[in-house]
Amino acid sequence: MAILEIRHLTHIFPNGTIALNDINLSVEAGEFVVIAGANGSGKTALLRHLNGLLRPTSGEVLLEGVPIAKDLTRARRKIGLIFQNSDNQIVGQTVSEDVAFGPENLNLSREEVDRLVKEILEAVGLSDLACRQPHTLSGGQKKRLAVAGVLAMRPQIIAFDEPFVALDYQGVLQVLSQIVDLHRKGHTILVVTHDLEKVLAHATRLIIMEKGRIVRDGDPARLIGDVETYGIKKPSGESVETMTWLS
Amino acid sequence: MAELTLFHYIAKKTLIHGMDGRIKLICMILFTMAVGFSQKGLDLAVLTAVLLMVYMAAGLSIKRLMTEIRYFLVLIGIIVVAHSFTIPGTAIPGLPVQGMTWEGLRSGLLFGWRLMLMLIIGNIMTGTTSFSLFKNVVEWFLRPVPFIPAARVAMMFSLTLVLIPAIFDQASEMLDAQKARCIDGRKNPIARISFLAGPLLFHTFMRADEIVQAMESRCYSEVRTPTAFQTTPTDWLLLGFTVAACLMVLLI
Repeated sequence: MAILEIRHLTHIFPNGTIALNDINLSVEAGEFVVIAGANGSGKTALLRHLNGLLRPTSGEVLLEGVPIAKDLTRARRKIGLIFQNSDNQIVGQTVSEDVAFGPENLNLSREEVDRLVKEILEAVGLSDLACRQPHTLSGGQKKRLAVAGVLAMRPQIIAFDEPFVALDYQGVLQVLSQIVDLHRKGHTILVVTHDLEKVLAHATRLIIMEKGRIVRDGDPARLIGDVETYGIKKPSGESVETMTWLS
Repeated sequence: MAELTLFHYIAKKTLIHGMDGRIKLICMILFTMAVGFSQKGLDLAVLTAVLLMVYMAAGLSIKRLMTEIRYFLVLIGIIVVAHSFTIPGTAIPGLPVQGMTWEGLRSGLLFGWRLMLMLIIGNIMTGTTSFSLFKNVVEWFLRPVPFIPAARVAMMFSLTLVLIPAIFDQASEMLDAQKARCIDGRKNPIARISFLAGPLLFHTFMRADEIVQAMESRCYSEVRTPTAFQTTPTDWLLLGFTVAACLMVLLI
């Protein structure tokens, strides 16, 4: 059974703009999916439907066969969403306090929250910065903190919305190696991006969106030749295996 | 005032920093009440000695206090002058300006002294308590109050502290961008403010909306894991010391 299934999902904004138009999609556990598309193609709107931040005009999203609208807390715990701008995702006044935000919302015991925070900070390499104020972190560190905040809720699926935007070279490397590592540890990964050259080598599947529809879906090596038709820059080089910033 | 850091948290490991935040807040409220009710110079002198002792025990810099408190001396000077001229009593002879009284001068000086002590108390509280701990303490005290959603108040308090520096950074960036496009050439201050305020307000609301969505995506709930406070015998001793010092000043 697919871990995530989207059936006939349509979203129309109040001003009449069609953000998503009859999306059908099924994601298996352990997949690494890159979703690409030009600006306004509906990528971000699609991600926000995954944990109920946007409600469908019609259609439904199922997590392990259960509509997410039936239990939003479960969906939000199992599908972690990393926003494009980490500054907007960080609400704690210290690094450790921000990681604790999710587990505290789940009303876990104080001991459990403290244990999770310690474990996750170690896992993302931010233990030494636990008492730092988040606004003093670098772009890459903020993104790692945003991931830590989501990991503390033990998600199965992690969705990244444009994870490489506004990061310098080192920041991209930090975030990319973290994404690859999470996939290796068994998480299902969804990455929304148009920077295919940074990440496509690690993907098991490429989805291309245009005007709120999924127009191509399949093996990255098979689809890479078509991406420029949909307003996405094709990375230099012929082989998909070279399309990564990790050496 | 930009360089004013008097009320910033200074991370240190001292007796006062390590106190249970709830006991610390009670102590500071007691000291504030004692200062407010003191009528004699001797009372205030005793409280000054005690508070300076606490100030030093907290590892805060008296030199920094003296340097930064000068901003408040102007305000205190105005209060002393206002009291001197408005409270009736025996006129002070030999002054070029008529109307100042000894009683007014005494009252003004006592008022100014009290204000200085309250600044010191505020400085001890903020200098030794992180914002997050302070927020948790406020939430703890609000919890039993009916009709007040303590968790929501605490989260709003916390978000405000997170958002304020971000808004100032954004305003500064927008101002620089406008200066780069020669906004200085416009002499009308209202036009200049409107060019900044409109986009800043729009950006702030957009950002607040995004933060709300990010919080929702992490299961924001008002039924949250409560903060664990630990009260040690040292906290009770310090509370006892505070009560004794305040009673001594007010009753003897």
